[in-house]
Parts: sequence; structure tokens; C-alpha cells
Amino acid sequence: MRDDTNRLRRRLLAGGAGALAAAGLGTLSRAAFAQATTIELPIANGKRNVVAFPEKRPLIVLTTRPPQLETPFEVFNDGLITPNDAFFVRYHNAGIPTSIDGDRHVIKIGGNAVGKPFELTLAELRSQFKPIEYVAVNQCSGNSRGLFSPRVTGGQLTNGAMGNARWVGVPLKDVLARAELKNTARQVTFNGLDTAVFGGGDFVKSIDVSHALDGEVMLAYQMNGADIPMLNGYPVKLIVPGYYGTYWVKHLSEIEVIDGVFEGFWMKPAYRIPDNDCACIEPGTAPAATRPIGRFNVRSFITSVQDGARLRAGQQTVVRGIAFDGGQGIREVAYSTDAGQTWREAKLGNDLGRYSFREFTFAFTPDKGTYDLRVRAWNRSGQSQPMDALWQPAGYMRNVVERVSVTAV
Amino acid sequence: MNSRALITVAFSALALCLCSTAPADAKTITLPTEAPPLKASPLPGYAKAQANCVACHSAEYMLYQPPTAPRAYWEAMVTRMKVVFKAPIDDADMPAIVDYLVKTYGNEQPK
Repeated sequence: MRDDTNRLRRRLLAGGAGALAAAGLGTLSRAAFAQATTIELPIANGKRNVVAFPEKRPLIVLTTRPPQLETPFEVFNDGLITPNDAFFVRYHNAGIPTSIDGDRHVIKIGGNAVGKPFELTLAELRSQFKPIEYVAVNQCSGNSRGLFSPRVTGGQLTNGAMGNARWVGVPLKDVLARAELKNTARQVTFNGLDTAVFGGGDFVKSIDVSHALDGEVMLAYQMNGADIPMLNGYPVKLIVPGYYGTYWVKHLSEIEVIDGVFEGFWMKPAYRIPDNDCACIEPGTAPAATRPIGRFNVRSFITSVQDGARLRAGQQTVVRGIAFDGGQGIREVAYSTDAGQTWREAKLGNDLGRYSFREFTFAFTPDKGTYDLRVRAWNRSGQSQPMDALWQPAGYMRNVVERVSVTAV
Repeated sequence: MNSRALITVAFSALALCLCSTAPADAKTITLPTEAPPLKASPLPGYAKAQANCVACHSAEYMLYQPPTAPRAYWEAMVTRMKVVFKAPIDDADMPAIVDYLVKTYGNEQPK
């Protein structure tokens, strides 16, 4: 683990020093150094800056304004919980809040399908409701989009737009109970303090009322035992466990219960997937029909060795990784050291809950040679991962069986 | 009063003092402003892209697209910025902006 971190650091330093030398800079201010630090992602046109944003360690910069930051993959081997300062960041509009009074922040609850609209300060949310707590993965819909083949347009992420955190907050169900929902209630919409620069395309999301009332969807005010970082939605964020991050509205400020289906830009045409079982189509074609993106599919990753790593022949290595799904929980992880010819069962680690990363390990003692390691997970309803990647035009939901090539010497 | 109690009192006083003098209990951040610029180009759309696109978002949105991104993509994006996001782009400027984008970041880049 420490070796990996050090290797990343060396890689980053090497990139930074090179870039600085090329620019002929004499003295290194901290900011200048951060600007010059780069990483090469394993995709065409994959060079990225690595910069520390407020409350964040240096992360891979997808975009500066608004901030979109990817977690360096090495972080996922440091533990099952992703630290707040390493957690990925995704905004849609550049009008983002930079100063918020955490106690006085107000959430308005209304809409045409509530009997009693009301407002709630965050201090009231904390003090007047019974909190719940669980560990849940947040994953960007477009996590891994840059790895699609053929390539698709959009945010070119590799596998670092995901993270696992312990969330504390209030069930949305309890908050909505005070608003006295009418029988006509069909969907609930969510808006945050972030705004669109010219007013069009404000980021608003919706879920069905039955989902909103499931007792799990949460208004979280704490992440891993601390305040939520500003760039992850301080002071209150909607948590929709098992669902893609697009629904996890940040700086939550408005909740509306409505009698229809909300069709704002970010629900339609954005964040749609092919409306079929695999959420996939032939590359280059267009889907016949679409639906809003929903739950995560099953994924698993080796985290302790990276593609191209060298191992000692004849020496046992414990390979470690993580698996997760949309909320059934992981039942089994299989591994192959021969490119998928034969499979054996990996050992599962502690269960932190069905929405969490689940650790797996397997021991591997290679002879000299090159090995194509693969891992494949199943959830409790038997869903798994495809051996060959599925394709869809928006580049969402990648979950192919991952390969890591290692050489024992 | 023993020394431990004194320390407690001193800390409490300090805490009270900090609370009462702090303006509001706000969390404030300052975001980095440096970002990669648009790639310079003799194409007429370059200046128009600088005036229109990076007013709202940084140039990484274009810079990091796959080099296979076709003209239809860039057209759709510029149209989206105007129609959905209400960016005040002159209709007359749109073809030049698209042309600059596809020839600088897309699949019409010089080989």
C-alpha cells in the first residue's frame, strides 16, 4: 500500500519536475508546483493536471471551472472508506457556492403535491429528527467513460469517479412526513445552491415518491464523521444509496413534491440510458428508447497491484480489491490468473453494509512469467459483470470484468 | 481552583471569545483560478470561442475530448450551450466556433 502511494508520488513528481524544467522555471512556489504536476491516464489524450482544491489533497483535474476532480486509483487500496479529501468532485454548472453558513442554511419543502409547505434550517434538521447512518458508495454515472471503445464524448474519466463513505443524516421520508403529501404526489425534485451562469440548465433531479419514501434516501449532513467538504455538497447532500451520483444533489436547498414526472434537462435528455435489459446498444447506433439512469450495476477492481506491475516469482502475494453493486450486496468474487480460463473464489472481507465497497483478497504465488489477472463479482440476486464491455452512447455504467497484467520475475 | 480547572476555564473563555467575535459560522473556500487556456489558432472561431465558451467553463471541457469527436458533437454542444444554458452566443458566430472546435480538438485536427 505504501509502496503504491510512493510510486504514485514519484510518478507525479517526475511529471511535475519535467514540466517545470521544460518551462524553464527557476523558483517553485507551491501553487506553481501544483499546477505543473501532471499524470498520464491510460487513454488517448489522457494527460491531466493534478491539483489540490480546497479541502482536497491533489486530485486529477477533469475540469477547473466548475471543479470536476477524479480520485487517483491508488487511494482505493488505502482502505474501504474513501477519505473526504480524496473523494471525487462533479459539478454541472459553474455558479457554485463558496461560502455557506452551515447552521442557517435553509431547505425549502414545497411543490403542488404537499399540503403543508415549510422551511427547515440545517440546525433544525440536525436537532428535530432522529439521524440514521450507513456506508454507501457514490459513483458518477460516467465513471470510466474514457475507457469506452469506441470512445464516446463527455467527461473523460478513468476509474476514479467513485468513493465509499459513511453518511449521517435524516431520512427524507421523515422530512416529507411534515409536508403532508397529497394523494396526487408522483415525484420529488431536488435542487441545490449551485446555479447556472446564464440561468438555463439549473441542476435539478427527481426520483419517484415511492423511492423518496423508502426510509433510506437521506439528507446527509455528515460524511466520514466530519462536515461534508464544500465541493461534495456542504452542508447537506441528498444520499440515494445504490443509485448513480447524479441523484446525490449537493448543497440541497429545495425539495418539491409534484403531481407529474419532472422532465428538466438533467432528467431528459441528459442522464438517460438505453431502455433495455443490458442498458446497451451496438456501438455507433442510437437507442430506440431511453429511461433515466438508475441503480449501479456490479463492479469489482483489483486495487493492490496495478496493470504492468512486477511481482517476485515464487513468492506469495496477497492480491486485494473492492467490489460493489446497487444495493443487493456482494455475494461472491471470483478471480482468474490465466486470462479467464479458470476461476477460483476470492475471500470476502468485512461486510460494512450492502451499499458499501466489499473487500476481497486472494493469495497468488506466480512462477516466472506474465499473468492476466481478472476479477468478477456477483451480487445477492445473481447479477454479475460482462466479460466484454457493453457500449452505450453516453458512456455510463461501464462494468466490464477488469484485467490487470502482472509479470513475475 | 486547581490548575486543571483553571485551564478549563481559560479554554472556555477563549472558545466563547472566538465564537462571539467570529462574524458568521460560515465555511468559505477560495477556488483555483488557473486553468489551461483554449489552444491558440488562426481560425476566426478562436477569438469567438474565447469570448463565448470560457466565460462559463474552463477549456478542459474541449481539451480532453477524444480526438475522434466529430463535427456533429461540437455542433450539438454549441447549440446546447445556447438553447439549454442560454449562453448569449450570436447565431452568426456559431459556425465559426464549431469549425474552430472540431479542427482544434476533434476529428478534423491536422494529422
